[in-house]
Amino acid sequence: MNLLTPERYITTTDGDPAGKPDVRFLTWFFPVWYAVFGVIICVLTRVTPPPRPDVTTAGTVAFFTEHHLTIQIGFVLLLILLGGAPLTNGLVLYHMKRMSVGSVFGYGYIAAMSVGALPGFLLVGVCYLTATFRPDRDPELIGWLYDLGNLSYNGSLGCFTTAYVVLAIAVLYDKNGVFPKWFGYVTVWQVITEVIATQFFLFYSGPLAWNGVLSLWWAVVVFSVWLGALIFVLRAATIGEPVDSPGLD
Amino acid sequence: MQILQEVQDLPSAGNIKAQWVSLWTGPAVGAVLVVALLAFPGFWPPMSPTLTAEQVARYYAEHTDWIRFSQITFNLCGIMLLPFFMVIVVQMKRMKTQSHIFAYCYLTAIVSGATIFALSNVFFLVAAFRPDRNPELTLLLNDLAWIVFIAPIGMVLAQFLLLAAAVHFDDGPDPVFPRWVGAYSLATGVAITPAAGAAVWQTGPLAWDGLLSFWLRNGAFAAFVVVMFFVLRRAVLRQAVAEGVVAG
Repeated sequence: MNLLTPERYITTTDGDPAGKPDVRFLTWFFPVWYAVFGVIICVLTRVTPPPRPDVTTAGTVAFFTEHHLTIQIGFVLLLILLGGAPLTNGLVLYHMKRMSVGSVFGYGYIAAMSVGALPGFLLVGVCYLTATFRPDRDPELIGWLYDLGNLSYNGSLGCFTTAYVVLAIAVLYDKNGVFPKWFGYVTVWQVITEVIATQFFLFYSGPLAWNGVLSLWWAVVVFSVWLGALIFVLRAATIGEPVDSPGLD
Repeated sequence: MQILQEVQDLPSAGNIKAQWVSLWTGPAVGAVLVVALLAFPGFWPPMSPTLTAEQVARYYAEHTDWIRFSQITFNLCGIMLLPFFMVIVVQMKRMKTQSHIFAYCYLTAIVSGATIFALSNVFFLVAAFRPDRNPELTLLLNDLAWIVFIAPIGMVLAQFLLLAAAVHFDDGPDPVFPRWVGAYSLATGVAITPAAGAAVWQTGPLAWDGLLSFWLRNGAFAAFVVVMFFVLRRAVLRQAVAEGVVAG
């Protein structure tokens, strides 16, 4: 596998480009975008792993002061690259529409993900950037932005849970073999981590807090496995689609 | 547009009629939004990010009525531009040489982008709801409103890039849109991108009242809607002729 160009990433076993050109492009874009996204959220903006919930107001101000520059670089990049989410979600929808179960689960997936874009994704960026925009703001308001950002980002549950549920059912019902069945069971674990994450709203520390061993780190492991699997099955599905099959209706 | 009598009950005629109505919501809603734009005192000139909390609070207190009128109008009518963009989705789905994956990505990018715009109206309106609030809170709401309004350009950028990609891959003998639409869409995407800097800079061209973040970003978007009206009008008319719905 070679990520340099779509033509070298999506290939038959002989090394020739495979799949439809437009689908091939998005299948290549998917891991590239998630790699950039990973650097932004983990290295630059420090939202994953998240800062502590059990902080004082002064502690939230200190967090934004310490990471001021990288938060600004990372989230401005993310404001620009935000639109990668519809592209990656659209690719999953595309392959779901090719399943024997018809379009309904695919539409459910894309609808739920479109909802998730704002509370689960954009809002934390806006909160962090508003906090760093005026570091001399009343510390109570900085703390308010800290909580709103972290709780909306980590705690937007239903939009993603819904997407995982319909994806898992679609994969398990599908008779066209677009995604392998084991991927359906991996997706079920994503639902379970979201249910555990409901506890974010109740705890300031311990295994169930928003930075806890169970609610966060277990979820990070499951998500990484799921995302890696999704990248793999998307590539296989794109390669496996006949180039002369008709476009989506 | 005169739909031929013998086909007027067919689905093809219904499709053309629906697209035609949706297309014309563009100029109709656009005219309303221009009124709201002219009425918003915070746009002439755009409010400076360097105002203090007391100055921002006084601004909302002195201009409460016009801020409410214009932002309520944006709130009520801004999302009414969606049917116009749906004509672009329908036309993208007519492109013969591709899988229509871009059309679906475009649809979801439009939805998420419009949601973000809707959120900014609410922040402006909450700030104007109680102008006698603690000035620090009005400043916070004003910051959130402007940053959400100007800076999250990713969803809009994705729309322009997806349209450009769709035009690029629509390489058959009878493309839906002329080739230049792809390049124009790409150029509009490039023009709006610097506006992301409005979440960081308080002065200069990248500030939310600056040349790039305010005037170029919003001007390029408005120009795109105007240009696409004529592009879509031609595309729908060509579809109507090709499908025998109107006389050629």
